[in-house]
Amino acid sequence: MRRVRASRSLPALVVALALVVAGCGGAGDGGKLRLTVATFGEFGYEPLFEEYERAHPEVDVVGRVADFDAHHKGLVTALAAGRGAADVVAVEEQYMPRMRQSARQFADLSAFGARELRDRWPRWKWEPGVAEGGDYVFGLGTDMGSLAMCYRRDLFERAGLPTDRDAVAALWPTWEAYAQVAERFAARVPDAAFADSAGTVYTAVLNQAEENYFAKADDSFIGDTNPNVLRAFRIAGAIGAAGRTAKVTTFTQPWNAAINRGGFATITCPAWMLAQIKEAGGADGAGKWDVTEVPGDGGNWGGSYLAVPAQGAHQREAYRLAEWLTAPEQQEKLFVRDGILPSEPEVYRDPVVLEHTDPYFGDAPVGRLFAASSDTVRPNHRGVRDADVRPVFGRALGRVENGAQSVDQAWEQAVREARDVLR
Amino acid sequence: MPFARWDRRITPYLFVAPFFALFAVFGLYPLLRTAWMSLHRWDLLDGPVAFTGLANYAELFTDPHFYNALANTASIFLAATVPQLLAALGIAALLDRPLRGRTAWQAVVLLPNVVPVVAVALVFTQLLGRDQGLVAWVLASLGASPLDWQAHAWSAHLGVALMVIWRWTGYNALLYLAAMQSVPRELHEAAALDGASRARAFRSVTLPGIRPTLVFTAVVSTIGGLQLFAEPTLFGGASAGGNDRQFQTLVMYLYENGFERFDAGYAATISWVLFALCAVLAFANTALVRRFVGRG
Repeated sequence: MRRVRASRSLPALVVALALVVAGCGGAGDGGKLRLTVATFGEFGYEPLFEEYERAHPEVDVVGRVADFDAHHKGLVTALAAGRGAADVVAVEEQYMPRMRQSARQFADLSAFGARELRDRWPRWKWEPGVAEGGDYVFGLGTDMGSLAMCYRRDLFERAGLPTDRDAVAALWPTWEAYAQVAERFAARVPDAAFADSAGTVYTAVLNQAEENYFAKADDSFIGDTNPNVLRAFRIAGAIGAAGRTAKVTTFTQPWNAAINRGGFATITCPAWMLAQIKEAGGADGAGKWDVTEVPGDGGNWGGSYLAVPAQGAHQREAYRLAEWLTAPEQQEKLFVRDGILPSEPEVYRDPVVLEHTDPYFGDAPVGRLFAASSDTVRPNHRGVRDADVRPVFGRALGRVENGAQSVDQAWEQAVREARDVLR
Repeated sequence: MPFARWDRRITPYLFVAPFFALFAVFGLYPLLRTAWMSLHRWDLLDGPVAFTGLANYAELFTDPHFYNALANTASIFLAATVPQLLAALGIAALLDRPLRGRTAWQAVVLLPNVVPVVAVALVFTQLLGRDQGLVAWVLASLGASPLDWQAHAWSAHLGVALMVIWRWTGYNALLYLAAMQSVPRELHEAAALDGASRARAFRSVTLPGIRPTLVFTAVVSTIGGLQLFAEPTLFGGASAGGNDRQFQTLVMYLYENGFERFDAGYAATISWVLFALCAVLAFANTALVRRFVGRG
């Protein structure tokens, strides 16, 4: 669910080792079959595990939660070692192209009938979870991020900008307009930034495009010539170079602190980020934030899959659990209780979801906002070596933000480094 | 008495065997396996892809990021180790005299070393925070503008060096102290009788007397400095070590390749070069300290 631009976690290695040592699977208490489910961040699965256990008394489901980096590094280490992975593991979409390349590390779920589940998801959510021309199903979609814009009503008021969410959306039909609002804001409110970081803006703009660093057709590197990438870089770079960002890296402690003290007025927020804003903002932040439409078209940022490692001893049972966890009924429960956005159109078009509002964000109609953005998602193609290239551009924007380089210099260096890294 | 003879001959080996067994499993095997991996294109997930001989090494020696990491490692090492060992000597000399509550002082000196490195790194990173850090607040009250510690090479190296100094000065001081206390008192008395000043006695009696410990701390600091990882990684929040890799150390580069780009073969290559560097520098250190301090 939660996606980060580069690895930004702390004791990832320690946790990874601990996970390897911990091992898992096998028989639980009283002869029950124990299934472990490894997730990261907030999947909201605990109550579902209990429900599943009630329906399947012979199964004991154990959840294991780590942070984003620790989880994925632990998973990779366990797969490489051939043991230690949970029976069901979550994989975030940015890791999917790489996992797909090693799809044999995961059970082929089509052997258990997974191909019949295909109609649950839109094509763009289904495809990353299948390999070898679609015959090998290794991942079932959980949530998605969609895209919206979160903004601080109090700061907008101080800046003399409208605070009503429809009026705010009308301020920025495009990202260029968003950048102009940043200037208007800065002229009136000198003590707060407009956006959290150039990187967040960049990710959002890029996620609205179908192709970014790699060509959809043959997965060749096009990051240096693709106008989508350059455009996103220029827009985000200009906002960063003008000093309109708080220069805080997403999900770090300074980022949390900036949310808490109103250090920035807007942030592109996928559905899963609302929980993080609430957590960082605390009770005092209630009612200060609101949610509206994102500039440009809809898009998606983040979302995950459930997979069953091939090293597991109970693959069929693990599949049954994963199939149940990703079923529409469960996705709906997760959204209503924890705001975890369903990736299945049948669910996010359900009135219960569409009418859902969030009191923390001034009763913003988050169900309708995110569903509307989801319907216009243009799935973006992620190259196999996406993870090699993405951080290079993120760091380039960081250099622009702290004034070390101009947008053009940073772009040039990023393109050079990206080419080098792919050699 | 064939059994007694057998016993005398074999038993000592049996007593030391556990160490060698453990070393073989956790030391030698990984070492050899890593060497084998470094000769391949080896994907962390898929295993060996192709045998490439020394191609990884050839690539590494022309890799600008490798030299960048090497230079950063050397710079942070110098910034951390020189003040650290000098301060440790000073603290040891202060503690090596009649002092009330000496044990308490020694415990206090060791305290920073028992705090886990992750905690130290997190606390220092917050102290040095650009927006909310205590140091930023102090700088601001002195009229200086806030410093983005991670943004510049010099300040980032200094920040990381501070953490290392904080953790290891006391540890080294205690080692020096133990060594100083084993220098025969008669030598000091003789020096005093000869009219040597305190500084002169320190230079001509104490330092040569603790030479083995000086060598030991220099070697251990060098190896520790080359393997610096947790502090700079947590300081920057990523293994790239800043937006322009300005504080990426060798082990961070190893980690980036092995665990972020899944290139286990290249990571293995870096770790072998690191191993060779450690060995060379350890020998060089021994030789240097011998020369400077002279024979005791």
